[in-house]
Amino acid sequence: MLEPILGSTNSERVLIFILARKEGYAREIARFFETGLAPIQKQLEKLEFGGVLASREAGRTRLYTFNPRYPFLEELKALLEKALTFYPEEQREALIMNRRRPRRADKPL
Amino acid sequence: MKPIQEMTQIELAAYVQTRLRRKGIEMILSGGASVAFYSSNQYVSFDLDLVNAYFAKSQDIREIMQLLGFAEKGRYFVHPDTQFFVEFPPGPLAVGKEPVREINEHQLETGKLRVISPTDCVKDRLLGYFYWNDRQSLEQAILVARAHPIEIEELERWAIVEGKQEVFKAVQSRLIAQN
Repeated sequence: MLEPILGSTNSERVLIFILARKEGYAREIARFFETGLAPIQKQLEKLEFGGVLASREAGRTRLYTFNPRYPFLEELKALLEKALTFYPEEQREALIMNRRRPRRADKPL
Repeated sequence: MKPIQEMTQIELAAYVQTRLRRKGIEMILSGGASVAFYSSNQYVSFDLDLVNAYFAKSQDIREIMQLLGFAEKGRYFVHPDTQFFVEFPPGPLAVGKEPVREINEHQLETGKLRVISPTDCVKDRLLGYFYWNDRQSLEQAILVARAHPIEIEELERWAIVEGKQEVFKAVQSRLIAQN
């Protein structure tokens, strides 16, 4: 949807995912969009180098978030929010309605 | 000309900037190295952030850096004669939501250094504290603020724009204690 502006479908996927989930790592983004891991990793690295995203290590995973220091962050988020409203309902729901609350490790169900 | 192995971090920055400038490429020193400059090396950072504020082509930068003896290693340029490494983050040159407007110039033995102002350097460090609660960033901001005249009123105005007025107020006295 924003590919003509962003220059890459995977760039849009990464940004939309992080907008919806607040954070994300390469493997879960690739899995969600059923695409290859390497191009998603490449986009994450590119967006981090450009100052759009920031990352930190959580265990063995590199977690990406929006970089609050990015000067166009508010405007970018507004654009992505609007783009998200044009996504198919099923995909939008899947992006937004994932479980974020804690879940005890030994819970049977 | 002083050999690269004898250059301080800031001298190296001025040298690289000057050599790039001869080919029409202008870069601005920001980040940790600007803290080193304004704190007279009380803070040491090994990376040189030369912000590509005027959208120079990567290929042009790469060619000149190779002529100077630097090798590209991922995002960085390294040189066998120095432990300092150079990075060219893409623009815009900004401190939070606002562009950097004032660039300071200093003539060094190795060339002309163009660097963000002390006030913008403090803003740049405060951002790390505002958004990531990074204490080291705050201490660096204090180091610069105490070593150079800074515009406290401008800092407060900017902190309001960033939506961080309360956080700023909590640390303001430490910035002006010896200013």
